[in-house]
Amino acid sequence: MEAYNSAKPLIMHIDLNSCFATVEQQARVRLRGRPVAVVNRRTDQTMIVACSYEAKAMGVKLGMKLREARLLCPGLIGVESDPAKYRYVYHKLLDIMNDYSAHVTMKSIDEGVIDFTQAPKSIVEQGLESIGNEIKQRLRDEIGCAMRCNVGIATNRFLAKTAAGLHKPDGLDIITHENLRDIYSTLQLTDLTGIAERNEQRLNAVGIMTPLQFLDTSADILHSMVFGSINGEQWHQRLRGWEVDDVTTETKRVGRQYVLDGFNLSFDEILQRLHHLCESVGSRMRYQGLSARGIYVGTRTFGMTGDKRRNYWHASYVAQTPFFSNETIYALARRLFMDAPPNIRDINVHCYLLQREEPSQISLFADQIVRERAVTNAVDEINERYGEHTLHAADTLPTSNLVKTKIPFGSTRYL
Amino acid sequence: MINDEEFLDERIKVIATFGGGLNPCTPLKFRRASGREVTITEIGLRHPVAQGRRMVHVFDVTDGQADYRIELDTERLVWHLTRESSDGGI
Repeated sequence: MEAYNSAKPLIMHIDLNSCFATVEQQARVRLRGRPVAVVNRRTDQTMIVACSYEAKAMGVKLGMKLREARLLCPGLIGVESDPAKYRYVYHKLLDIMNDYSAHVTMKSIDEGVIDFTQAPKSIVEQGLESIGNEIKQRLRDEIGCAMRCNVGIATNRFLAKTAAGLHKPDGLDIITHENLRDIYSTLQLTDLTGIAERNEQRLNAVGIMTPLQFLDTSADILHSMVFGSINGEQWHQRLRGWEVDDVTTETKRVGRQYVLDGFNLSFDEILQRLHHLCESVGSRMRYQGLSARGIYVGTRTFGMTGDKRRNYWHASYVAQTPFFSNETIYALARRLFMDAPPNIRDINVHCYLLQREEPSQISLFADQIVRERAVTNAVDEINERYGEHTLHAADTLPTSNLVKTKIPFGSTRYL
Repeated sequence: MINDEEFLDERIKVIATFGGGLNPCTPLKFRRASGREVTITEIGLRHPVAQGRRMVHVFDVTDGQADYRIELDTERLVWHLTRESSDGGI
């Protein structure tokens, strides 16, 4: 059996506790100590995207509708999400983390990893536990006294994240090869990052019911009988504290999704929202210096069956030449959307097959592309100067206050 | 309706200190259009919001009775009261 990684733990995972709810409690003093739910819309039919520890203690969970949560917790205060605030806290956290190492990776808007393996000797000599406590204090000093974070320290990213989840809120834990088995003995399989219901079923199917049994399973069995791929070997190493997750992912698609603000909208009204999304997608894509060849449009519908797959419709198109302008994105999306079924619940647009903006071959339509590029650049410059969505298509005028940018879960590309 | 927050766009007069340190701008007191004075007992959070290239600094503050959001437009150097909430939430 491969040995555990006995190196000095030099990976630190930092996770802001109940980030959005905590930031709201920090900003609004009178929310502190009270159950708070952050929602994306000012209606009690909306889904909770974050809740405070006081709300969690009353049984409120993410994904519940605010109205249902209030049955469990009558004093629950709904707060509309405020992405600008969370972006600010994200940048403050990033600034603090950058003071300790040049190797900082933000995993999402509320968590990041500091890799100390190449950090200066003086920093490492301070000790990661001491640095973890210092970061906690700096968060309180530089953002506010209500801010708390969990810190996990280990030899790889996976164990550092596991450590950060052990004692919430405001914990600091270190996992080493010495306490690894003790830690695993206190966890369930689904407590491990990356093991959700489906992977748990795969593991259960071969008699692996606990993290310790998972740890003691050979790489061969994990490869051949559980995951059927290199994932098996990776899990074998990951669980032992060896780094397999230090990979950078490139942007493969740029998109947006929108749950319709009413379920009796006319087709034209839905097209207005689609147009708004396309403008937003185009702007994000160009912000990264990209153009695309593929476009995808999807919708979820209200179906008579409970089968989610049957209530999903999508269509896609791959163009021969790359496109970048809002007009082209909308024209392509609109054409696809004409085949969408009725009873639409939400719309989803994304561009894929991304490439750097400069076309690699001279097109027959070069003049047209140059003109399109000039107009698009002019629009982008005006929007950059006067604010997002200052200049936009006339038919998206009624949607400006509806299709707001919400919290970008999972990605830090636009923060 | 999820709470009792009021959205406002009220020009206000503010007494603030400007100095160094982590919080270089500290609003202390503001006077509303009605003449009522609000003494700020705590600043919850200050965060900048870019409106195009114009920067607005948003302060979430309280006087102990209600939470307020006041905004400093750094281009025009004017303050506005934009939100008020007496239950703490919105």
